[in-house]
Amino acid sequence: MMRPILLALTALLAPALVALSLAVAPSVRRRGAPAAALTILASLASFGAAVALLFEHSARLTVPWLRTGARVIAEVGVNVDGVSTSMLVVVTFVALCVQVFSLGYMHDESPPAFGRYFAYHALFLFSMNLLVLAPNLLQLFAGWELVGVTSYLLIGFYYKKPSAAHAAVKAFWVTKFADMGFLFGLLTLFVATGSFSFNVALTPPVAVAVTLLFFLAVVGKSAQFPLHVWLPDAMEGPTPVSALLHAATMVAAGVFLVVRADPLFAQAESTRTVMLVVGVGTALFAALLALVQTDIKKVLAYSTCSQLGYMIAALGAGSMLGGFFHLTTHAFFKALLFLAAGSIIHAVGSNELSKMGGLARRMPVTFAAFTIGALSLAAVPGFSGFFSKDLVLEAVAGKLGSIPLALLVATAFLTAFYMGRVLVVAFLGAPSSDEAAHAHEAGWSMKLPLLALAALSLVAGFFAAPFAKLHGQAYHFHFGGVAAVGTAAGLLGLVLAYTLSSARIARATRAVSELARGSAVDRFYEYSFRRVTLVLSDSLAWVDRYVVDGMINLLGYRTIDAGRGMRPLQTGMAPDYVLAVVVGAASLAAWTVLR
Amino acid sequence: MTSHLLSLVVGAPALAALVLLFLRPEQRLAIRVVSLVAATVSLLGSVVALTSYDRARSGFQMVESYPIVPALGIHLTFALDGWGGPLLILTSVIIFAGVLASWSIAKRDKEYFALLLILVSGVYGVFVTQDLLVFFLFYEIAVLPMYLLIGIWGSSHEVRAEGPFRRAWEFFSVGDKQYAAMKLTLMLLVGSAAILVAIFALYAKAGARSFDLGVLASAHYSPELQVVLFPLLWLGFGTLAGVFPFHTWSPDGHASAPTAVSMLHAGVLMKLGAFGVMRVGMVLLPHGARVWVPVVGAVAAVNVLYGAFCAMSQKDLKYIIAYSSVSHMGVVMLGAATLTPEGWNGAVFQMVAHGIMTALFFAMVGLVYERAHTRAVAKMGGFATVMPGVAAFFTLACLSSLGLPGTAGFVSEFLVFLGAWRAGHYLWAIPGVLGAFVTAIYVLRATRAIFWGEGPSKEFHDLGEARGTEWAAPIVLGACVVLFGLWPRILLDHIDPGSAMHLERLLRLEAIERVVSTHAEGFKP
Repeated sequence: MMRPILLALTALLAPALVALSLAVAPSVRRRGAPAAALTILASLASFGAAVALLFEHSARLTVPWLRTGARVIAEVGVNVDGVSTSMLVVVTFVALCVQVFSLGYMHDESPPAFGRYFAYHALFLFSMNLLVLAPNLLQLFAGWELVGVTSYLLIGFYYKKPSAAHAAVKAFWVTKFADMGFLFGLLTLFVATGSFSFNVALTPPVAVAVTLLFFLAVVGKSAQFPLHVWLPDAMEGPTPVSALLHAATMVAAGVFLVVRADPLFAQAESTRTVMLVVGVGTALFAALLALVQTDIKKVLAYSTCSQLGYMIAALGAGSMLGGFFHLTTHAFFKALLFLAAGSIIHAVGSNELSKMGGLARRMPVTFAAFTIGALSLAAVPGFSGFFSKDLVLEAVAGKLGSIPLALLVATAFLTAFYMGRVLVVAFLGAPSSDEAAHAHEAGWSMKLPLLALAALSLVAGFFAAPFAKLHGQAYHFHFGGVAAVGTAAGLLGLVLAYTLSSARIARATRAVSELARGSAVDRFYEYSFRRVTLVLSDSLAWVDRYVVDGMINLLGYRTIDAGRGMRPLQTGMAPDYVLAVVVGAASLAAWTVLR
Repeated sequence: MTSHLLSLVVGAPALAALVLLFLRPEQRLAIRVVSLVAATVSLLGSVVALTSYDRARSGFQMVESYPIVPALGIHLTFALDGWGGPLLILTSVIIFAGVLASWSIAKRDKEYFALLLILVSGVYGVFVTQDLLVFFLFYEIAVLPMYLLIGIWGSSHEVRAEGPFRRAWEFFSVGDKQYAAMKLTLMLLVGSAAILVAIFALYAKAGARSFDLGVLASAHYSPELQVVLFPLLWLGFGTLAGVFPFHTWSPDGHASAPTAVSMLHAGVLMKLGAFGVMRVGMVLLPHGARVWVPVVGAVAAVNVLYGAFCAMSQKDLKYIIAYSSVSHMGVVMLGAATLTPEGWNGAVFQMVAHGIMTALFFAMVGLVYERAHTRAVAKMGGFATVMPGVAAFFTLACLSSLGLPGTAGFVSEFLVFLGAWRAGHYLWAIPGVLGAFVTAIYVLRATRAIFWGEGPSKEFHDLGEARGTEWAAPIVLGACVVLFGLWPRILLDHIDPGSAMHLERLLRLEAIERVVSTHAEGFKP
């Protein structure tokens, strides 16, 4: 009983201790290298503990955290079960890979910046583990908000760049807006049940209200339409950060919340329908936008939105396993893709696809890694993405007249097509710039994580059965009609991307690029912020200064005025005062007598 | 055995102020050391008071009483309830940080420190006294030094109005420190007058020849009287708590005040107002409170959102923080108005959380202002490059202010919203939560404008990281923000029995009244 608790606490507290010590000991942090070493050690400890937990029983430890009316209303602690353990393994593994990769990638930063970067990473890992191991929804919310803050700090890591500063606050505001849903959901849940447990029975209307409120937060965190706008901008952060936070783990927290609170969502069929619609819509919409991006990171960012849409759709269709397994494989291959992209950017010095080309021969490891990631994302049979995407497609088959299935198959085609295009443009053909012509592979610290993630992207799919068993479900693979259609769509996309000339692709996607350039959703938010929020705040501030405060000033001014008006009565001449006394006394006497 | 702990906490700063009078102005170090010693003694005393308070027994403890005018029933009575400990800690932490933050003050420092210490004595007194008249005296002692502190050591006209309304500013001399000091004092004194009327009415109607809060609480006041008296106390004390529309002294006052005075005023003094509304208004006048809470809560919700929107539009750094206080004090009043254990715990916790957070804000703003010589946010940018530590602590204050879990701000806001939600006051909770979101917009906008972006322009040649004693305030306050946020039970386990005691009284008295009034109706001929 004790061992799983101790392991879970190790996974949680090792990064916490490092984050704390780096916060209180700036002299260590500012030297850079020790901070990196400490952070990676902590991640290693977390990862070791997580793997060890796979072989332990479920366990739970909580301590009272808030007490009111002599009653405990909230607890904190750790909760070890199939869901939390498998997520913990994914998070700590990807975090470890990304941190090792960062050793090479961020090498040129000054020591204080290097130390700050790793301190943020330690804080992030703690927050994420806090979320994953949460025994109740309140602690999950705490972790949720904390990863939001580390995301803000890491997107704004290059804080001198105005675009990074803008992207950081935008990401925070959009997710914070959605998080109001989480907060209201928590309040409603607590008032209805007296707890923050993710496994309670609710009356149908409360269940729908609570889960819809939670889903609003999921839409923000997991970048679903219409709150997806922050994720492409978040690519302003360093590329390893994009891999860890904005592809593999943090954005998947929304999906994780739904998986975690599955018993609540299972009681709300209408919420699930909404999720299915939003998920499918986002998957298709984001895949279309990914088609026309010219920045390699933006392609991957929209692809993340799209794949998260798949997960949400699976959960909306009631398949907890499908959503969660796709989360897992996606974490591996998308982190792989981002790190490989980071390796390219490191070599070429630009995010633009048009500056790349012909990299296959000069960067063979990166090429192999990126290809494995891309084929996995395109769901080519045998790669991990194939198995998980198949689960998703199976889950939505037959729902809502199979329209979701058709749309997701179309999305699978688009996915394969845009990834194929990136492969062709970046790695094949002739170099398009001097940097690309002289690109070369980076050191081992960057190659090793690529290899580790590539291996997992290759094999993770074959672990579907044990993964399902961890959650008490059965999984048998069979190559049915849905899988065949999905595979065909993916292969068609890859083949078309290879055979069509780029001019043809540009012509075919012109309509989409118009749509992307307009980015109507973004402009709507921008407009409503400038024209509504700012104007409202300016007018309220004006009212405060000139109306509310104006009344007070007027009152003060009138008082002075009244004093000034009465001043002539005080003439300073004795006869006047004597006269007043006499008149006063006489009137008093008259009043007494005549009363 | 009577303990003299509370007398020590209350008396140490006053005694130190007395000692300061005998020092010569040239003894600059001695003046500071005496002040710091007094602050430290009070801090240690507060910690001892918090830890030695017996939570299981709850109620009033460490009671000490000295007669002042026995014939009228006026006693100097100190006693600690569950709320006392956390509020003493709040005051102590802020005066300790405030004295250190004033280390470099260079004008009439003897008088400055003496006034600061007298003010703090008054604050301590309010939090622990159990005699209503003495309560009022301490309250005035805490409020009045502010006039001199702002009028003499403040700053004027940092950011002027532009455009057509410039004349209105010039006409009323808005932004002038004399104006700010005068406005603050006059508005608070009008409030005090209302309080005094209510106090005498309570004393007379109780007919027990005692100002003891316990005696007054058990007296029976007619419902009509309660309905008339409650708004006097609400608005009287509420003016100090920044209740809309009587909050306008606060932005001007806080903006003109020197750093440590802003820290104390926004950090502690505004809490006296909210404390007065709850401890005197709601506890003594349960029926009046019941009748008026719909208004109190609605106005508090207005405070939260209105303050946040006003803060967003400010161009002067100090005004942003000052308006954020107006917004956050709304959360305290919102919690109080719920009349639920969650709401009251949240309100008292928010007094502490907001106090520490806003003191941290003002300390950081003071450091920026001293180095940049301007408070106009538009001129700043890229300061994090040269003052990373200040930027980090400013960001920490921002995060607490927007209610990030793991900081003190989250605990209080969450409890308050929970109280409102449970009591069915959805229309108070929704603006409250929206206010927290708007807070996220304006604080992070300010952070980005001041600290992020391209490095500071050439005109800011004095910029630099905090040095020496300047680190004390951020470290002490920042540690408290995180500590109370991670482990709120340090305070909450004290606050909870306090709220339970005061609320129980309120609910019981109300129940008795209900019985009495139904009987009265029953016996009607």
